[in-house]
Amino acid sequence: MSGTAGQWVLLAYRIPRQPSTPRITIWRKLDRLGVARLGDGLVALPADARTREQLEWIAEEIGEAGGSSTLWLAAAASLSQEQDVAEEMRRARAVEYRAVVEQARAAADGRPGERARTVKRLQAELRKIGRRDFFPPAERETARLAVQALNALIEEGAS
Amino acid sequence: MKWATRRGVHIDRAACAWLIRRRVDTGAEFVFVDDPAQVPGDATPFDMRGVELSHHGGDCTFETILRRYDLADPVLWKLAEIVHEADIEDDRFDAPEAAGLDVVLRGLSMVCDDEQVLEVTGPLFDGLYEYFRRGMLLGREPA
Repeated sequence: MSGTAGQWVLLAYRIPRQPSTPRITIWRKLDRLGVARLGDGLVALPADARTREQLEWIAEEIGEAGGSSTLWLAAAASLSQEQDVAEEMRRARAVEYRAVVEQARAAADGRPGERARTVKRLQAELRKIGRRDFFPPAERETARLAVQALNALIEEGAS
Repeated sequence: MKWATRRGVHIDRAACAWLIRRRVDTGAEFVFVDDPAQVPGDATPFDMRGVELSHHGGDCTFETILRRYDLADPVLWKLAEIVHEADIEDDRFDAPEAAGLDVVLRGLSMVCDDEQVLEVTGPLFDGLYEYFRRGMLLGREPA
């Protein structure tokens, strides 16, 4: 990361507790985007055309669910604060990558018949994590290699 | 008729422009704006916050337009699944084509302006439509 704090897009929102379904749907959507949770009802993503648009649509959905929200473009007041937020996001992705590594290794030790399906699933999972991985941790490469190794094992078995 | 949408067209807006031209208004003219306040008075806005033809209830704008204009064509609804996943990525549908289409559109927007993106994606969506139409008739992947 460069020496100055970057632009972030922030969504401040409130959703009624009941009914809980739209509330949970919105929570899941925010998780899928890989947002940093800065506080109750305040999430952030590094700003680019895509993240801004995605949060705009979620803002719209919050309105339809009877809630309210505002969307902000902001920069952290100090670089160290930004780095803390980035570090938290990096750690969250690292956990997801480690889960992929574990599943890939378990599949390598498991029944050969299951391996092909697991590889497809884990490849899709890696793509999904990659979409919300704004500050890649070292585990990203480990996970990629673990899935690659599992795939190589299948090809060995087939030849 | 005039239609207005946000500048920096991506998958949903490109697909909507194609859909509008092919099924709603053959003489459609498109205007691109930076802000909802810039929408001309005689234009119908789409894929912008706070307008009727936009994301609603988890649907993307392409799906909203299909509903609004009662377009029941199953091939269009198949395209809608792909557009939805390329645009929103919420796994509502299984649409493996979405990831590729998303990248194609992102790349296009780096080298083309909005008018050019619509020009290039016209035949692209025509082709996708034909592909899935044949697939549905055959009941398998068309050659």
